[in-house]
This record gives sequence, C-alpha cells and structure tokens, in this order.
Amino acid sequence: MTLAVPSKQFQRVRRTAARTLTAWRRIGTQAEFYGKTLMSIPDALVNYRTEVWRLIAQMGLGAGALAVVGGTVAIVGFLTVTTGALVAVQGYNQLASVGFEALTGFASAFFNVRLIVPGTTSVALSATVGAGATAQIGAMRINEEIDALEVIGIRSITYLTSTRVIAGTIVVIPLYCVAVMMAFLAARLGTTVIYGQGSGVYDHYFNTFLNPTDLIWSFFQVVAITVVIMLVHTYYGFTASGGPAGVGEAVGRAVRTSMVIAAVEIVFISLAVYGQSGNFDLAG
Amino acid sequence: MTLARAAAKPWSALGAFFAMSLDTFVAMVKPPFAWREYVLQSWFVARVSVVPALMLTMPYSVLLVFTFNILLTEFGAADFSGTGAAVGTVNQIGPIVTVLVVSGAGATAMCADLGARTIRDEIDALRVMGINPIQALVVPRVLAATTVALALSATVILVGLTGAFFFTVYVQHVSPGAFVAGLTLLTGPGDVIVSLVKATLFGMAAGLIACYKGISVGGGPAGVGNAVNETVVFTFMVLFAINVIVTAVGIQFTVQ
Repeated sequence: MTLAVPSKQFQRVRRTAARTLTAWRRIGTQAEFYGKTLMSIPDALVNYRTEVWRLIAQMGLGAGALAVVGGTVAIVGFLTVTTGALVAVQGYNQLASVGFEALTGFASAFFNVRLIVPGTTSVALSATVGAGATAQIGAMRINEEIDALEVIGIRSITYLTSTRVIAGTIVVIPLYCVAVMMAFLAARLGTTVIYGQGSGVYDHYFNTFLNPTDLIWSFFQVVAITVVIMLVHTYYGFTASGGPAGVGEAVGRAVRTSMVIAAVEIVFISLAVYGQSGNFDLAG
Repeated sequence: MTLARAAAKPWSALGAFFAMSLDTFVAMVKPPFAWREYVLQSWFVARVSVVPALMLTMPYSVLLVFTFNILLTEFGAADFSGTGAAVGTVNQIGPIVTVLVVSGAGATAMCADLGARTIRDEIDALRVMGINPIQALVVPRVLAATTVALALSATVILVGLTGAFFFTVYVQHVSPGAFVAGLTLLTGPGDVIVSLVKATLFGMAAGLIACYKGISVGGGPAGVGNAVNETVVFTFMVLFAINVIVTAVGIQFTVQ
C-alpha cells in the first residue's frame, strides 16, 4: 500500500542548507584525518619503521614506468633544470634589453631561491611522490585491502599515511638539494655558455647576492609544503571510491588541490619571512 | 633476451605514442568529425580547469610581484612594478599555470576516463563495431584540450595581472597610474602571441599524452591510478621542456 506524502516545505532552502552542511562536514572529516595522521607519527616511527624505510626507497626511486626515466630524483632535477634555464633565457634577454645583462647572476641567486625552486619543487613533488601515493592507497581502498588491514589489527592510518608523511619529509631533503643545484647550474650554463656572458661577471654577482638565510628559509618552505602535499594526497587516496575510474579521478583531484594549497602556502610563508624587511640589501 | 626486451620497452612505448599522435593528426582532417564529443569534452575540460586555474594564478602572481617589488623598492624604482608584473605574468606565469592546470586537472580526468573504458574493454568493443576510437574519442579530446588551453591562458593572464594590480596598489602602495603605465614598457603584442602559441602547444601535448596513457592502460584499478600518475609526470616534463624551447625561440623576435 502506498501513502500519499505531501511534499516538504521550503525545498530549495533545505537543499542549500544540506549542501552547505555536507561541505562543512567534509572539511571537518578532512581536518580530523590530518590530525589523526600527524598524531600517529610517533607511533609510526616506533612500530612501523621497516615500512618507513621501504617507502623512502620507493619514493626516491619511483615505481613502474617512473623508475625507467630515472625516478623521482631525475624528474625533479629535470623540471628544475628547465625552470632554472628560464632565468638565463628570459632574465638575460629581458635585462639585456635595458642594458643590465651583467645582473643575470644576481637574478639567478634571487629568483631561483625565493620563487622558482619552491614553486617547481612543490609541483614536481605533487606530481611524482604525491600522485604515486594517491594511486597506491586508492587502489588498496578499491581492492578492500585497507579494510583487511584493519581486520588483521594494523592501524591503517598510521601504517599507510603517517609513514608516507615521514618518508616524504625525509626524501625531500636530498631532492631539495638536487633542485637548487640544478636550477643554479642551468642558469649559469645558459648565461655563460649559450649567451656568452663572461663567467667571472656572472659568478661575481651571483656570489655577492646569494644570501644563505634565504636558502635556509627556502628549504624550510619546501619541507612544510611537502608535509601538506603528502597529507592532501594520502587523504584523497584513502577516501577513493567508484572503481578503477574513481582511483584515476582521485589522483586528478588530489593533484589539483595540493597544487593550489602549496601555492597559497608558499605565498603565506614568503609574506611571513620577507614581508617586514624584505631581507635584501643592495649594498651587500 | 629478457634484458633486451626490458631495454626496448620504453622505446616501443615512445614509438607507440608517436604512432598514435600521427594517427590523430591524420584523423583530424578526415571526416566525419565528432562534433558532439568535441563540444562536450571542451565543456568538461573547461569546467574542471577554470576554478583551479584562477586559484593557482592568484598566489603565483602575488608571489611574483611581491618578490619583484622587494627588489624594485630597494633600487628606488617601485614605479616600474607594473613592468615586472607584465613580463612575469605574460611570459611565464600565464603559460606555466595553464600547463599545470591543463595537465593536472584536464589531462588526469581524460586519462582516468579513457583508462576506465580501456580496462572494461569498451575501446575494443568500439573497434568491433567498426568505429575508430582515435576518430571518435581521441581527436575530439586532443582538440578540446588545445582549445581550452588557449582560452585558459588568456584568462589566466588577465586574472594574474588584476591580482598583481590589487596587491601592488593596495598592499604595497604603488600608485595605480604608474603600475598601469609600466605594463606595456617591455611587453608588447609579440610577447602575447608567443604566450598564446605556447599555451596551444601545451594543450595539444597534454591531450595527446593523456589519451595515449588512457588507451594503453593495463592491470586493473592500480593500473588506472598509475597511468594517471604517469600522465601527470610526463606532461609536466614535456611541457616544461616545450616552455624553455619556445621561450628561447620566441625571445629572439620579441626583445629588441
């Protein structure tokens, strides 16, 4: 027997309210997940140390087809070579048009450290290490392996996500060094070998204006970004649903979100560090 | 024997990619053209790309003018901040943000969609029905990515310059007239054309890589996830390389 139910009042208002509530709830669950992951880091360091080592090796070298092109190190190196070379290509020519091409070495020391390396490294990390983590965890979620982990008594968040956050933070240290070296090298080679500037001129301005404190801040910026990238990517993998296509979509969503969040984070850290004084003195 | 086969694998993948690209270019000019799929895909790529593109442009252009203005203030030349903003946004931030978004948002979604169809054998089913999947699926997707990348880069440049204007004028207290007057000092129509050419090439390359990775997926759900991951990595690598080369060539024509 069917009952005639009168339609509810204020449907549009109800729908909007429900949608807003869902969005709020999603932010809440996400924050809860990040909190849990960060709180479980000591636990992961004590109980799942082998898994952390395994992940460090895997993230550094990459898996599958990515290992063929030389792994994460080579990819990050390649991307920073191309962006560092932009300093030579764009910077040298643009400065030459106003008669300042001698300052290309200065542009490399200034823009590479503050702008180009943090930006490129964050993008490269989200594409390689981050997207890899989403794909792996997402596939485990679809195959119900995460539920199986819980059933056999392994804390899945600690085992899968906290370990990845730790491993990512450790892997990024050598990666950052490679990125900075490659960016400097590409800018120097491009300016001196290809555009034919005297290497003494380049080195003089580069060494005069390379500020060690800037490098340290840039390093901490990249480490902070890595933690956030790993958190976002593991969350999207952990909550993947909808079969094989769902895993792919989760990877795409995670890359989008983490790139935007990393960009905002770089701006805020830069404003916090350089906002007051600029930390730059032309007189040397 | 197995070693030789393992060594040949990446090369045969590269060859297969170029073969598919060639097929795509041939099918592009051969009727019938899948208009409906083209419009739907363009709308789809635009829908997933616009919001991330705008969200990504704002912080990067603010970061650029902030870093640049520290320098200009130190020289006592803050009036030229518009020049720096225009050079950075039109030549680099515009195309690069377009790259990141078209490959991070558009290409991943395309690859996930095609990959899911491939592992459910839908592509083979199309072939059995006598429909060429390159013509029906790949061509409209590649063209959609190209069109949207071109449109997106214009939007990104406009939004980036607007964001830079508000940040410079209201936060760093540069006079608005000086900012606007400085915009066209070093940046001319040539730079804009090079920037748009870059964006078009990026869109096409990203579309081709995403479609190739999508239709050559194997190995279940994990395979689709990995294919999407590889799409992101390979598109970033190819696009950053294209960016340097096109910048180096284009700058010969734009800088006097």
